[in-house]
Amino acid sequence: MASEQEIKQLVIERLKTLPENIGLSIGSMGDFDKQELISHVEQGDDIGQKIVEVELSFLRGLKEGILYES
Amino acid sequence: MSHSLLVTRPNFDLTTRYISAWAKKVIDFAKEKGVKVFDLDRARANRKEFESMVKRNNPAIIFLNGHGDYDVVDGQDNETLVRAGENEKMLCAKVVYALSCRSGKILGPSSIERGAEAYIGYTEDFIFLYDDEKRTRPEQDKTVEMFLEPSNQVVVSLLKNHTPMEACNNAKRAFSKRIGKLLTSNSTDLGGAAVKYLIWDRHNLVCCKKDG
Repeated sequence: MASEQEIKQLVIERLKTLPENIGLSIGSMGDFDKQELISHVEQGDDIGQKIVEVELSFLRGLKEGILYES
Repeated sequence: MSHSLLVTRPNFDLTTRYISAWAKKVIDFAKEKGVKVFDLDRARANRKEFESMVKRNNPAIIFLNGHGDYDVVDGQDNETLVRAGENEKMLCAKVVYALSCRSGKILGPSSIERGAEAYIGYTEDFIFLYDDEKRTRPEQDKTVEMFLEPSNQVVVSLLKNHTPMEACNNAKRAFSKRIGKLLTSNSTDLGGAAVKYLIWDRHNLVCCKKDG
């Protein structure tokens, strides 16, 4: 099982592939650029935890064929 | 069947600016179809105006845009418009679509208990990517289009006389179409990132109605 630090690092590496001009809106949590997203994941605050949750939900879903749901 | 549509469009930060601009496309579509539209834009997206409009005009469809939480959808400057346990009976006999975070979890089912015909919404945060260079022209942003065009399918389908469940499923199919397109196109960093958020939004979109 991956440690919390390993999971954070995985999420950060995936966030690094975001183009520089792209931002992410997470409802009332606000809107964030790439560097802000990475900082929140590093800090492990509510926003960082939400980003990790979405990423893990996606990765776990891959095993269940989530890409091909209609 | 003729409809009337009430739309709330707060506009005071980036997220509400984007969803407000894209809700305008639904308003234009509705007007083209001859639907009577009540548009509560910016400062008019407040509780007093909302409740008054609902009582006076009895719209068949209510399209809520704005920030929210499990039990609430807000208007301009995060003023509460509808909250579970307070005033969700306003939605009685209405079909509601809330483009708002989380309200599909508590406010949706609570509205159904108080007589709403259907409540379509998201059980978790609605997340979208946007192009920072288009933040002053959100209606032209092709990045956000990937998210808000499928979302708009809910109300577009309702206006085409689909049932609420069909409208919800049509929107899910529109999300799937976007996902499929990204998966089969030459992979880009943006496309790869967008897929996971599109799947997140599709998964959390729910239709609450009387028979479950």
